[in-house]
Amino acid sequence: MTDEPKLSSDAGLPLKPFYGPEDGSQRGPEALGKPGEFPFTRGLHATAYNKTPWMMQQVLGAGLAEQTREIMDQLVAEGMEGYFGHKVFNVVLDNPSKGGIDPDWAEAKGHVGVGGMSLSHLDDMRRLVSGFPLEATNFSIITGDTCLVALAMFVVAAEKAGYAPEQLRGNSMNWLLKSFCVDNPDFSPRGAQKMAAQLIRYCTDRMPAWNTTNFSGYLIREAGANAVQELAFTIAWGTAVIEECLQQGLDIDAFAPRLGFQIAFHNDFFEEVAKLRALRRMWATLVRDRFGATNPKSMQARVHVHTAGDTLLFQQPQNNIVRVALQTLGAVLAGVQSIHTCAYTESVEIPTPDQSRLALRTQQIVLHETNVAQVADPLGGSWYLESLTDQVEEAAQALIEEIERKGGFVAAIESGWVKGQLIDELIKKHDQIDSGELVRVGLNRYETEEAAESRPARFTMPPEIEQEAIRRITEWRRDRDQSAVESALEAVRAEAAKDGYLMPLVLDAVRAKATQGEIMNALKDVYGWGFVTN
Amino acid sequence: MPRESLAGEVTRGHPLHTPEPSGESEHVRVVLGKKRFDAHDVGARYIMRKLVDAGMEVVFIRFALIGELVDAAVQEDAEVIGLSVLTGGHLVLAADLMEALREAGLDDRLVVIGGVIADEDHAKLHSLGVDGVFGPGSKPDAIVAFINDRFARAS
Repeated sequence: MTDEPKLSSDAGLPLKPFYGPEDGSQRGPEALGKPGEFPFTRGLHATAYNKTPWMMQQVLGAGLAEQTREIMDQLVAEGMEGYFGHKVFNVVLDNPSKGGIDPDWAEAKGHVGVGGMSLSHLDDMRRLVSGFPLEATNFSIITGDTCLVALAMFVVAAEKAGYAPEQLRGNSMNWLLKSFCVDNPDFSPRGAQKMAAQLIRYCTDRMPAWNTTNFSGYLIREAGANAVQELAFTIAWGTAVIEECLQQGLDIDAFAPRLGFQIAFHNDFFEEVAKLRALRRMWATLVRDRFGATNPKSMQARVHVHTAGDTLLFQQPQNNIVRVALQTLGAVLAGVQSIHTCAYTESVEIPTPDQSRLALRTQQIVLHETNVAQVADPLGGSWYLESLTDQVEEAAQALIEEIERKGGFVAAIESGWVKGQLIDELIKKHDQIDSGELVRVGLNRYETEEAAESRPARFTMPPEIEQEAIRRITEWRRDRDQSAVESALEAVRAEAAKDGYLMPLVLDAVRAKATQGEIMNALKDVYGWGFVTN
Repeated sequence: MPRESLAGEVTRGHPLHTPEPSGESEHVRVVLGKKRFDAHDVGARYIMRKLVDAGMEVVFIRFALIGELVDAAVQEDAEVIGLSVLTGGHLVLAADLMEALREAGLDDRLVVIGGVIADEDHAKLHSLGVDGVFGPGSKPDAIVAFINDRFARAS
C-alpha cells in the first residue's frame, strides 16, 4: 500500500486527483451568474472580447521623455493598441521619480532614467505627452507614492495643450497604500489612506473618464504573497480606500466605477484563473452589499494583468518566453481587460526593442491565432475550476475576516502584521525553491552551463542621461519665481495639515513650477513619518 | 535643505521578523542594506533569514544615502557589509560604498553584493573592491559559505 501523494495548489489549497459532477461550485447558480451579470464571476461582458480586444498595455519607459517617446513610437508601430484601436501607454518612471526624489538630489545618484523615465517637473511631462490627441489617448503613468503630484503634472501639461481635465483618459496607479509591502513607505499608512482618497475625490469632481486607482495585487504578490493573500490583501486595501472616500463625503456610485485592479498571473494556471474569477465575485458582492452601490459598473472589478515578474528566471532566459505565453493565455481565458506581457529579459532589466516586440507579439498571437477570445469564460463550468474558485474565495474571505478582527487593513499594516505575513510566505516559498521541492526549470532542475556570450542583448542608454536631467531641472529652478513656489508649497502643507482638499493646491504648486520632489516633501511634512531625504 | 533620514529606523521597526540567531556558528556581525526606493525586499529578507539561521547577527536597513549604510556598519562594528540590489544602479552604489567605507576606516570589512546583477558587471564590481558578488539564482548556502570562509574561527 502506497501513500497517496498530497496534492495542493501553489497557495496550499488541497486538491483531488479528479473532479466530477459532485464537485463544481457548491454556491448555486446565482454565485456564478452569466458573463456580464452580477456577481461577474464569469466576466464583465457577455460579448467576451468581440466588441474590442483587451488593452495591450505594455509597460515602457527609460531615460528622459525623448527616449521614452522612441519606445512608445516603436510599440505603436508594432500594433500596441487599447480599446477600439486607441493609443494606450503605460509609462513607468525611474525609482527617484517614483519616490519623489528630484534628479539633482543625492539620493537619485546613479538611478536617473534607470528602469524607467525620469520625470521631476512639468516640462518633463509636457515633453512626454505633447502632440498626442489626449481626448483619445489613454495614459497610465506608473508612479510610486507620487501619484497626486504626477496626476497634477499630467493635468497641467494637458491644460497647457488646451485640454480640460474632463477630457482626459488614463489611469493613476494611486498606490499610496501599497508601500507597506515593499518596505519603503514615504507616508504613514493613515496618511497614505487619506491621500489616496484625495486623488479619487478630485477625479470624481473633474475627471469622469479617468481611472483613479489600480489596487495592485501584483505588487503584493511580487513582495512575497501567495494567490490567496494577494486576493485578500487587495480586497482589504480596496475596502480601506472606499471607507476613506465615504468618510470624505463621496457617494459610492460616484467613484466606484473608476476603481480598478492590477493582478499577477503566476505559474499555477488554474489557481490564477480561479483567483481572478473569485476577485470579480467578491468585489461585486462587497461593493453592493457592504457599501450599498446600485450602479452595476460600481461592482465590476476591471482587471489589468501583469504576467508575474517573479516567475522569470535569469537562467536560460528563453524559457521565460514560454512562461509569459502561458500566463498571457491564462489572463485571456480569465477574461481580463488589459494585459502587460513581460519581456523574457525582464528578470534582469528593461527590454531591447526586439525583446519588447516579442512580448507584444505574444499577446497578438493569443488574440489572433488561438481563437480563445470569442467566447466568454471558456473555462467556466469545469468541475475543477468552479470548485477551486470557491476554495480560493473561502480562503481569502477567512483572511479578510482576520484582518477585520485586527481593526482593518490600515491597523493591520501599522502593527506590522501584513508585512509579517508576506515575509513568512516568501521565506517558505524560497525555502521550497532552495530545496528543489518547488521546481524552477533551469534554476533547480535541468540546469545547464551558460556561456556569457549567449546572454540576450541588453538595453543600452546614452550615458549622459543623468547629467541632462540635472541640467534641465537646474534651469527649471533657476528660471522661476521662487517666492511663488514657496507660497504654493506652503499652501499645500497648510491644506494637508487640516485634511482639506489637496488636489487644487497641488495643481497650483505645479503651475507655480514647483518640482515633484518639492511638492512631495511638503506632503511628507504632514502625512509622512517625519523624515524626508533632501 | 538637507534633513535627516530615519529610513533605517523605520525598517528596524519590524523586530519580530529578525529572528534570534540559532545556528552553531559564531556571531559574525552583518549589516545588510538596500536602497530605500529599490522596490521590494524579497531577496534581502530571504538572505537575512539564511544568515541568521547560520548564526550571524544581521541588521537590515533601507537607506536613502550610502552614508546611512556605512554609519550603521560603524555603529554595529559590522564585519560584513551586504548590499542588496533589485532595480539597478549597483555600479554607482558600489563605487560610493567602497569610498565611504575607506573614509570611515572600514576598508578591511568583507563587502558582499547580491541581487539582479548581470554577469558582465561582476568583474567591474570586483575591480571596485567588492569581495563577493551574487547574481540572480545564487544559492543562499553559497553566500553563507563565502562569509564563513572568511570568518572561520576556532571554536
